[in-house]
Amino acid sequence: MTKRKFFRILLWVFVFGIVIAVAAVYYVFNKPRRNIARETAAYALEAKQLISDFKKDETVATAKYLDQTISVTGEIKNIRTLDNHSMVFSLEDQMEGVSCTVDSADVVSNLSKLSGYTAGSVAKFKGRCSGMLMDIQLINCVPE
Amino acid sequence: MNKLLLFLAFSLIFFNAGAQNRFFTKDAKINFNSSTPLEDIIAESNQATTFIDIDKNEVVFSVLTTSFKFRRALMEEHFNENYMESPKFPKAKFSGKIISPIDWKSEKQVVVDVKGELTMHGVTKEMTIKAQITPGKVKIIASSELKITPEMFNIPIPSAVRDKIAKEVTIKIDAVYAPYQQ
Repeated sequence: MTKRKFFRILLWVFVFGIVIAVAAVYYVFNKPRRNIARETAAYALEAKQLISDFKKDETVATAKYLDQTISVTGEIKNIRTLDNHSMVFSLEDQMEGVSCTVDSADVVSNLSKLSGYTAGSVAKFKGRCSGMLMDIQLINCVPE
Repeated sequence: MNKLLLFLAFSLIFFNAGAQNRFFTKDAKINFNSSTPLEDIIAESNQATTFIDIDKNEVVFSVLTTSFKFRRALMEEHFNENYMESPKFPKAKFSGKIISPIDWKSEKQVVVDVKGELTMHGVTKEMTIKAQITPGKVKIIASSELKITPEMFNIPIPSAVRDKIAKEVTIKIDAVYAPYQQ
């Protein structure tokens, strides 16, 4: 009797373990994307400050900002809409400023705010820093 | 002496800018495909920066590896952390010269060979790439396709996932250039 009970418990533990393992693997494999809108920015600064940090020492700035959620404020110099309907806002300088890319889904959900922006307006974007080419690139941006 | 050099450098830059011989875009598209029957691995970036100098027939192309988007967030993480090691090598770059004859005044599409160096993951390889170019006064359209292997660039693929990732990765590039004025 006690032996049977023991095995029954063992069986349940085993089944339970398998269910948890499958759920964990499934979750990790289909891990949701980072939701930048819900993250708090690790750094909040002026676009000019970010540009000067990268110009001063790119390696140091890359180590500090890469993949971090950053919130930048600056003057819009150029606005472009790409083929895939995402929008790019260049802050402070079109070539060597901060380029904030807003994905198409976020363009739709923030349309009223974004359509109000023109060259010359001062805007604040929160996004993930992917480093510097000529400009500093922030991706998955949302306006704040 | 230094001032003279600086002056010469600046005047060269201004001279070049005035001549309107450079075209650029910051929104070039790069995608790559390393799918196998076991797994679809497709990634795309719209944030490549590229220049063409039509006097020197030179092309430069660069992209940040973290700007590639995959279907799954997990793939993006593996790509950046395990394979490309993006924090260490954040950029991929190609710089080369068009070695086939090209007439920038015609507006007909031509296929050319571009010979240059591709650098990624800290490894530089010499390559000759075929590209389609359609010259124009207000815009230049270019596209290209190349095949590489992860091994060429010292990117180790663990044997557990080796069968899920194609041996050869196909990279496609599409760019529409505009005149560069500064």
